[in-house]
Amino acid sequence: MPADLPGNPGLPDLRYIRELARVAKNYDLGEVEIESGDHRILIRRGGQGGAPVVVAAAAAPAPAPAKLEPAPAPAVVAEVEADYITSPFVGTFYRSSTPESPSFVEVGGTVQVGQTLCIVEAMKLFNELEAEFPCVIEEVLVENAQPVEYGARLFKVRKL
Amino acid sequence: MSKKEIRKVLVANRGEIALRVIRACHELGIRTVAVHSSIDEHALHTRFADEAVCIGPGPATQSYLNIPNILAAAELSGADAIHPGYGFLSERADFAEIVGRCGMTFIGPGAQHMRVMGDKIEARACAVRAGVPILPGTGLLADGEEALEEATRIGFPVILKASAGGGGRGMKIVRDPAKLIQTLETAQAEAEASFGCGDMYMERYIDSPRHVEIQVVADRHGGVVHLLERECSIQRRHQKVVEEAPCSVLSESVRKAMCEAAVGLCKAIDYYSLGTVEFLLDGDQFYFMEMNTRVQVEHCVTEMITGVDLVQEQIRLAMGGRLDHLDRHHAARGHSIECRINAEDPVTFGPRPGTITALHFPGGFGVRIDSHVYQGYKVSPYYDSMLAKVIVHAADRDRAIRRMRRTLGECVIEGISTNLPLHRWLFKQEAFVSGKYDTHFLEASMDPEAVLREVDPYT
Repeated sequence: MPADLPGNPGLPDLRYIRELARVAKNYDLGEVEIESGDHRILIRRGGQGGAPVVVAAAAAPAPAPAKLEPAPAPAVVAEVEADYITSPFVGTFYRSSTPESPSFVEVGGTVQVGQTLCIVEAMKLFNELEAEFPCVIEEVLVENAQPVEYGARLFKVRKL
Repeated sequence: MSKKEIRKVLVANRGEIALRVIRACHELGIRTVAVHSSIDEHALHTRFADEAVCIGPGPATQSYLNIPNILAAAELSGADAIHPGYGFLSERADFAEIVGRCGMTFIGPGAQHMRVMGDKIEARACAVRAGVPILPGTGLLADGEEALEEATRIGFPVILKASAGGGGRGMKIVRDPAKLIQTLETAQAEAEASFGCGDMYMERYIDSPRHVEIQVVADRHGGVVHLLERECSIQRRHQKVVEEAPCSVLSESVRKAMCEAAVGLCKAIDYYSLGTVEFLLDGDQFYFMEMNTRVQVEHCVTEMITGVDLVQEQIRLAMGGRLDHLDRHHAARGHSIECRINAEDPVTFGPRPGTITALHFPGGFGVRIDSHVYQGYKVSPYYDSMLAKVIVHAADRDRAIRRMRRTLGECVIEGISTNLPLHRWLFKQEAFVSGKYDTHFLEASMDPEAVLREVDPYT
């Protein structure tokens, strides 16, 4: 079984939805529906090329898609604004450079481009992870000294 | 070499070979760790293994070839050995070395063996020292002038090969002396681009050869034994499509000489683990081509006729075990044939990724399927197009061919294009059935219309 890793299993990956919306727009698709695991995602583009409408629902029991009328956008909530910083490495997640040092970042703190966020250690190699965009740390999703795999969500952030 | 227990194996591969290794480990009571790219999140090897770790995105260079992430996954999961499968990192000497330096066991030969056999010019020199026949040829070619001189000595046609090539890649045939120098320059540039090394050598080209290879198994105490031959002459684009064991045209004396040559080569380099010594067979003459220092795709046909579980033995030998029960003369029990079912156009051989919408694998007496696909499986364009190995075993070649015809007829894969029609067509060809074919047979004799009629043989 895959290692139980952090992230929010209750919600569909928002980057994924964004990507789907992009695909729907680029190929001028009226509707995209995808079901995988616990999620069923239906994207319907309304009227004169307006913003895509995203409806995310639990997959089972599958609701009849016909009921999901293309409504004016409100299904897109604040969650879409959130972003995640994921691990490009496999290794052990550390919030500070030594057990005694303060954490690189704290919840609520603002981070600049290039600022160190954490360390992912593997085979005695300390890989520093740096911010690629300015953001506010909203949540630290992994406990200190826990193993992380590639793509594991480490921080929930708000882009600035 | 003292005994080194293996309790947990990280399988640094994907697809059917990852499943093959995981199955072998579980039967041996060894725990397993799968690694996978984010695209392979739902692949079977991640489910069959005791643990799974995502090591990177889709492209193999960032996942299945990502040595730091693979080693980190091994460290995190507490694996004490790594099995490389075939392809990917299986013949990377530097990887084998690093695995050892990290205190883990690399399930395969030593880095030195991979290095010498990975350099095709050095491998030829090794064969000569071991008294193994090689084709008339050269070492590293300095320039076009030398090439022309050598080609005149060897006799046209000649084949130019990249020293860093192998497995059918980086080769050019030259029949016309006037074209040699220009072809050499093109080949050097191509080899430089593909392998990062433009070194070329030359061999006499045989027009109608068969590809016959010997399976060897060796321990770390000097014990080497052969497990007979495999015949792999049905190829497209120099890639094997059908393999069988034993070879139907090998006389007992040639078989004996070929097996002794393969064992001799292994002894000459103190080889250990599984290995395959590939030969070109021209009538009753055979010539060393290359040695593969890993488990082969087609190892299953050898397993069927010898009853030896090669992957389990490979793991046992990696723990420092001796040949023991394998150290005997192996005689073929019946005949086995393997068809590689690929997601590709059956006529042009172009890859055809997509989603499998319906799947039925054959069964019945003497049928073995090694596959990682399932209904709904998405064949990714990132990786090899092989979907399944369909293997049959029967008392003799004639019965094995009948069994394979029956088996191919039962096989259903819908939603994507596969080479099943090509296999169905092939098993009706008189040349194949009678065993009169060479490595060019498939591409030279294929009748596209007849193959396409086999797409749905029941309509």
